Amino acid sequence: MFSFVIRRLAVAIPTLLVLVIISFILMYAAPGGPFNSERPLPPEVLANIEAKYGLDQPFWAQIANYVWGVVTSFDFGPSFQYKDRSVNDIIAQGFPVTLTYGFWSFVVAVTVGVSLGVAAAIRQNSWLDYLAVGISVGAQVLPNFVMAPILVLTFTLWLGWLPGGGWNGGQWQNLVMPVIALSTSYMASIARITRSSMLEVLNTNFIRTARAKGLPMRRVIWRHAMKPAMLPVLSYLGPAFVGMITGSVVIDVFFSTGGIGQFFVNSAFNRDYSVIMGITILVGALTIFFNLVVDVLYAWIDPKIRY
Amino acid sequence: MTLKTKLLATTSAFLIASTGALYADGHATHPETGEALASDQTFTYRDLDESPSIDPGVAEDSAGGDILRDLFEGLYNQDADGNLIPGVALSHEVSDDNLVYTFTLRDDAKWSNGDTVTAGDFEYAWKRAASPELASPYSWFIELMALENASAVIAGEMETSELGVTAIDDTTLEVRLTKPLPYFPQMVTHFTTFPVHQATIEEHGDNWTQPGNMVSNGAYVLTEFVPQERMVRERNEMYWDNENTIIERVVRLVIPDENVALTRYLAGELDRTAVPAGQFPRLSEQYPDQALSVPTACSYYYTINLTDENSNPALLDPNVRQALSLAVNRDVIVDNVLAGGQKAAYTFTHWATAGFETPETPIATMDQAEREAMAKELMAEAGFGPDNPLSVNLIYNTSEAHKSVAIAISQMWQQTLGVQTELGNQEWQTFLETRGNQDYEIARAGWCADYNEASTFLDLMDSGSGYNDAKYNNPEVDALLEQAKTSDNPQPLYEQVEQIIARDVPIIPIYHYASVNMLNENLEGWPVNNFQQNWYSKDFYKIAE
Repeated sequence: MFSFVIRRLAVAIPTLLVLVIISFILMYAAPGGPFNSERPLPPEVLANIEAKYGLDQPFWAQIANYVWGVVTSFDFGPSFQYKDRSVNDIIAQGFPVTLTYGFWSFVVAVTVGVSLGVAAAIRQNSWLDYLAVGISVGAQVLPNFVMAPILVLTFTLWLGWLPGGGWNGGQWQNLVMPVIALSTSYMASIARITRSSMLEVLNTNFIRTARAKGLPMRRVIWRHAMKPAMLPVLSYLGPAFVGMITGSVVIDVFFSTGGIGQFFVNSAFNRDYSVIMGITILVGALTIFFNLVVDVLYAWIDPKIRY
Repeated sequence: MTLKTKLLATTSAFLIASTGALYADGHATHPETGEALASDQTFTYRDLDESPSIDPGVAEDSAGGDILRDLFEGLYNQDADGNLIPGVALSHEVSDDNLVYTFTLRDDAKWSNGDTVTAGDFEYAWKRAASPELASPYSWFIELMALENASAVIAGEMETSELGVTAIDDTTLEVRLTKPLPYFPQMVTHFTTFPVHQATIEEHGDNWTQPGNMVSNGAYVLTEFVPQERMVRERNEMYWDNENTIIERVVRLVIPDENVALTRYLAGELDRTAVPAGQFPRLSEQYPDQALSVPTACSYYYTINLTDENSNPALLDPNVRQALSLAVNRDVIVDNVLAGGQKAAYTFTHWATAGFETPETPIATMDQAEREAMAKELMAEAGFGPDNPLSVNLIYNTSEAHKSVAIAISQMWQQTLGVQTELGNQEWQTFLETRGNQDYEIARAGWCADYNEASTFLDLMDSGSGYNDAKYNNPEVDALLEQAKTSDNPQPLYEQVEQIIARDVPIIPIYHYASVNMLNENLEGWPVNNFQQNWYSKDFYKIAE
């Protein structure tokens, strides 16, 4: 197991490097640049700026300098657009915001989704099953960009209970709507995966044996069925968790949370090269890391899996 | 009295006293108008996006300008009508050749840490803004001001010490120009000319603009800043005119989506937000005291590529360009498509620009039927007609509003002249590159005034201007613009230039912008007559409901 983790981490480094290089090339291939604007800068002004940000150097030197800065001093450089800030500042400010509402969305999605799924599987073809399936199908077809305005209309304009956006240092009032909007469709997927996987497990021989020897249903579910039923859910949760904590762009933009998603979108439009790179690397690294975590959890849950 | 009763007595006394204060505060009145003031003097407004910088030397956008006019104060401010009023400077004198300005500064202006604001702070700020080390995208403003040696300093060919600005003593600032710009005093209200505190910048480096570090000299200080989310500015106790400031707190929220912002405005979370395109008629009917449309210093136009390589050869014929311009029914665009109080444009210069009298160009004096008749005639003369329709390509940057205008205009061209228009939208950066490289036939453009004088628009028509995307080259126009730079009365020259543009049609002016906002009806003091919409929170107050 230990050597497996080491091996996976070792592969992660070249993977990230390839990610950096491909992103760099794509970024430079896009027309325009960070210092183009409606009123083009006089050449002498542009020259000063390009010298300051190292854009006057050849392409490969820029990549090399960039990678060197990241590897040796964890320095992702200054933002080209937000001139008072470095990429590290931007991530340090935006990531905790996204992490907070992403984490709560994850908790909500898993708790509600698994409960719905299990309930539906146990009472298959009952009203409870239909209700649970109904809810999850409904939630799945309501994407967050539809959910968000509906929530704001209801809770802000009609009821006046919650602020229509902003973060305000992470007050719970500002958390409620982003969490609901972000978790809904994940919750729906989790419920459906849990239901079908649980149904399958409940029809296996070892569950029939457990029930035949007279174990109470609750114990059968918790002790025997839950773990194997969770395997497909788990493989879905890894990428889903990364997706949630690195921010749904829609949530960040719609609720103006100041999270990382907003910076990511803007950096692409503004050709803010260093911010694009910084957030790409962050998301890439998190994806790799949580996939590894999922693999480790797999081995822990299912003793048949050995690396 | 036992301890308990004593406590009770003091508590109730305190309670009575504090409710009394609250009551009094709730009924404070405005010193001049006598209106009852609201107890909560917080002004909350929405910005579309985070500003690239709030360092006066580096800042580059108008939203950043709004922030900086609160945090810092330059030599002059503008009043509600856009006239100059004293800021840190009380007055100035000009040499006979109009090349040397000597500003006299007030001696009671203070930085937020208590230091005195001196002429040296301005000298430092201007030299810093021009320095290649700072590499400010707005260093060109120092060039625009025509400061002595500005170009050479920015290009790194001269030391910053050679720049034409000198602090003679703490309250005297001398500025030397290379051109006698008639509008120079207007320019010192711009944020690039605001003073900065040298010791703070040297101590904190790039982090000096963060709350806690920043030392500023405006009516407000920065107390909270979460980029892309919120910024709070609070009253600066050290400001020389602090006793006349009524708004205590200014909160700026970033809300990218204007419909979301409108929802939050309607929910009472904001005092000011932009009206989404096309919604002004509905909102002004529903909320007549809140929907506000005021002219703002920008012009919307289509630029026509006049270079030989990539242009449409037909568009090199002035008659064809004239026909296209005549066929655009501007009234439909402003009244039906935009419907936000914008005005039809027949000149490049915005109608409300100071000193500018909109000239009676031929197109402006006709009615639309006459224009269309003439357009058809010109088109036929140029050899285009029903059997031989003209095809043009029109690009705009991705936006619902630009798209609506482009569709309307292409329909007008189609119906009146049979012109086939191929519309193309491009993402902003791509669009800028395409247009800047003259890789287009007709392109959407907009221009906003840097200062309140016609040359801020018309200079774009100079063959040497970097912003002349049409690559229009008319020596007569160049000569008139050059002459205007030193003329005592440049207005007739500007009118002549407009007449020539109306004849040559390198651009098709479409409309003059209006700034369309929802504004809390209890917020007073908004400068509706300030053409550049330069507002200062210190001039506002909220009346009690």
